Amino acid sequence: MATHNNHLNGDAISNRHVSKKPKLAPTAAVAVITEDDLHSEFSHHDPAVARINNGSFGCCPASVIAAQRRWQLLNLRQPDHFYFNELKKGILHSRTIIKDLVNAEHVDEISIVDNATTAAAVVLQQTAWAFHEGRFQKGVDAVVMLHYAYGSVKKSVEAYVSRAGGDVIQVPLPFPLTSPNEIITEFRCALERAKSGGKTVRLAVIDHVTSMPSVVIPVKELVRICREESVDKVFVDAAHGIGCTSVDMQEIGADFYTSNLHKWFFCPPSIAFLYSRKNSSSCDLHHPVVSHEYGNGLAVESAWIGNRDYSAQLVVPDVLEFVNRFEGGIQGIKRRNHEKVVEMGQMLAAAWGTHLGSPPEMCASMAMVGLPACLGIRCDLDVARLRTHLRDEFGVEVPIYFRAPAAAISAGDVVTGYARISYQVYNKVEDYYKFRDAVDQLVNSGFTCAQLST
Amino acid sequence: MDSPTTNNHNHIHTHHLNGASTISQPSKKPKLLSSSFITPAEIHEEFSHHDPSVARINNGSFGCCPASVIAAQHRSQLHYLRQPDNFYFNELKKGILQSRTIIKDLVNAKHVDEISIVDNATTAAAIVLQHTAWSFHEGTFQKGDVVLMLHYAYGAVKKSMEAYVTRAGGHVIEVPLPFPVASNEEIVREFRKALERGKSEGKRIRLAVIDHVTSMPCVVIPVKELVQICREEGVEKVFIDAAHSIGCVDVDMEEIGADFYTSNLHKWFFCPPSIAFLYTRKIPKGGSELHHPVVSHEYGNGLAVESAWIGTRDYSAQLVVPAALEFVNRFQGGIEGIKKRNHDAVVEMGEMLAQSWGTHLGSPPDMCGSMIMVGLPTSLGIACDDDALGLRVHLREQFGVEVPIYYRPPRDGEVGCVTGYARISHQVYNKVDDYHKFRDAVNQLVNNVSKSFKVVL
Repeated sequence: MATHNNHLNGDAISNRHVSKKPKLAPTAAVAVITEDDLHSEFSHHDPAVARINNGSFGCCPASVIAAQRRWQLLNLRQPDHFYFNELKKGILHSRTIIKDLVNAEHVDEISIVDNATTAAAVVLQQTAWAFHEGRFQKGVDAVVMLHYAYGSVKKSVEAYVSRAGGDVIQVPLPFPLTSPNEIITEFRCALERAKSGGKTVRLAVIDHVTSMPSVVIPVKELVRICREESVDKVFVDAAHGIGCTSVDMQEIGADFYTSNLHKWFFCPPSIAFLYSRKNSSSCDLHHPVVSHEYGNGLAVESAWIGNRDYSAQLVVPDVLEFVNRFEGGIQGIKRRNHEKVVEMGQMLAAAWGTHLGSPPEMCASMAMVGLPACLGIRCDLDVARLRTHLRDEFGVEVPIYFRAPAAAISAGDVVTGYARISYQVYNKVEDYYKFRDAVDQLVNSGFTCAQLST
Repeated sequence: MDSPTTNNHNHIHTHHLNGASTISQPSKKPKLLSSSFITPAEIHEEFSHHDPSVARINNGSFGCCPASVIAAQHRSQLHYLRQPDNFYFNELKKGILQSRTIIKDLVNAKHVDEISIVDNATTAAAIVLQHTAWSFHEGTFQKGDVVLMLHYAYGAVKKSMEAYVTRAGGHVIEVPLPFPVASNEEIVREFRKALERGKSEGKRIRLAVIDHVTSMPCVVIPVKELVQICREEGVEKVFIDAAHSIGCVDVDMEEIGADFYTSNLHKWFFCPPSIAFLYTRKIPKGGSELHHPVVSHEYGNGLAVESAWIGTRDYSAQLVVPAALEFVNRFQGGIEGIKKRNHDAVVEMGEMLAQSWGTHLGSPPDMCGSMIMVGLPTSLGIACDDDALGLRVHLREQFGVEVPIYYRPPRDGEVGCVTGYARISHQVYNKVDDYHKFRDAVNQLVNNVSKSFKVVL
């Protein structure tokens, strides 16, 4: 049990006992969190909003915000002392907890960075150098990524791979989906395409949970296929991983793996980890912001990238404490979030006469729910405006995905919009009723997205 | 120090309470409507979170942040946590633009497009040098082309040169600088010699990286003159690393004339950790663009826009520039007044210490901003970098004095010279007692030479 004291008034952090394995359930000494406590922990959320979008920005409970403030004040009180005596220990403590959470073999394999976007830049910059320095061949070597890769990752691939002369192969994915096999088939096809085009796939970038549309990708299988097909390295972009899906470095077997901790692991913005499997090429990963720690390994480089506020990276122990106040700890939270989001998704789909975008087993704590076709969603601009309309007029926060119709069918018949609903511990059934009723009201009033083009 | 009278808040800018955001333009110049400025009691209050047992004479390393700006930052953070989607879509961009606009005015840049906000000068260096690396990769620069930097460039910048320039095939030339230094001419002379060396090898000098105020040892570099020399000698681009400048020395983009210029705002401009700006002079015809190394969906929309969104993070330190400006304008003369008084005080304290210890200053007063190098008594026997660090730790732990120490190796033929210099800073929260405490600590160490700090190590 992590019995650390909160960092009041510069008390020595070294007095803390660092628990090696995170407890998975509250012990007799720690009662399960009550409804009231839970409400209190998230009382800073805007009560007027049905906040069913934990997937975008995550959340942070009041007790962790308080812990972060203490760290910030500790630094401001005497920053030289903080830099020389507290910071490195604190970062190492966080890395150690993460290592245990994700079943990495060695704490050296865990670096802490700002977010998955930064982690992608770290990995892809290494790829760019490989092209510059002749280890990879322009016009021959390629990077494979999913079509539904996150926008920033696609740009990062353009900025570092395409620009350096590498080829990029995208794996088209169907949506809606009925089984993981559809994904596996497309992935194999893409690798085949690469091979028959005379390309060597140096890196596969695979989402663990895609962002929009959101589905859980069968990463373990895809990594295995990569090994079979001699793909050099696999980088799993699991922005949504920790606290959302099962995250086990030995199970998944990737070379690089990143996940945010501020999305589903209750950390304040922002903190992510980048796992890099110990082997020869992992020495060549560098943080793009170079400090005097350059060359001391990514984890050490990332722990000091100039003077900044590292407090979000230091509260991982406090977050673990918070999570362990729930029945079953993070596993329990994950399981219940999953069950609830599926239940709510099915409730909404039934109410609107639509369907889910993927089967429940391909959802984690998020689900894609079809919106009534009569809303007339015709393009990306429509979904952006509809989202704003729901926020401004109905107090519902939920991202919407535009899914272009496969063929030239009239928009009135086909579901072209999917809402990505999330479920996190602060959510209540009322949040989803509010959404249901808002959409019903729009439908009943004959609303179409065309009306929003003002 | 200041001698204000009554409490007065001469600002027109409102705080961002509960989402009531304003884009009012805070005044650049402090109001002179009444003669009341921040009082000593209020200054004390603003910095009451500082450890009172420490003589904190090292503002240069980590800066400081007054309580009212911390409070503004907390409000911004809570505003975000309350409804992050709304914040992202409706507040963030406006807030960043407001900060950039204030900075543009503060540094006399022509266009707000020229001002990007990044975490710190270390990040700005990575941006400029990564661009240099791409120029080598893409054949715009030839292998062996030269990048110049000062020998006293900051450690992180030297490593960045290694990581991006040397690794990409560039040739790095260091300009040796004398220390102690007696005049700007000494620096100009060495700089010219280094330029000659660079050109004599038949290669182009693609970039000169020049500190505005070096870190250790700390001296103010005559950047305007060096930029002029660079233009005369055909140096393609000049990047000024002014980690210490805004709030410490004069910062005028038109005056200085560099292509790239960066300064931290959390060192001498009262912002919380961390925020810096990177100025990039607008060029008439397009060259290849600078990019933030952390690539987001904003890639290609210009550095300022790229830097304003590098993934989900806490941008609050970048959003409280209006609050920092408000704070600064509570002082007589605003930031100019603060700068001048800091300079006068640090020179006075430096001279007091040098006289007490029988040593000297590392540079003349006109080569100092708000920091000054003070020679330490030779009897302390500082003989290497470890000794300097050891002394610093000893001063912190045994005497409650926080001050960085620089080891200055003796040159050939030098005997019995001063080998250790303390870099003292002066900021608005400092008091004369802080420097007396340091003076007395060193005198005590000198008097107890038999129990030197080195034995303690």
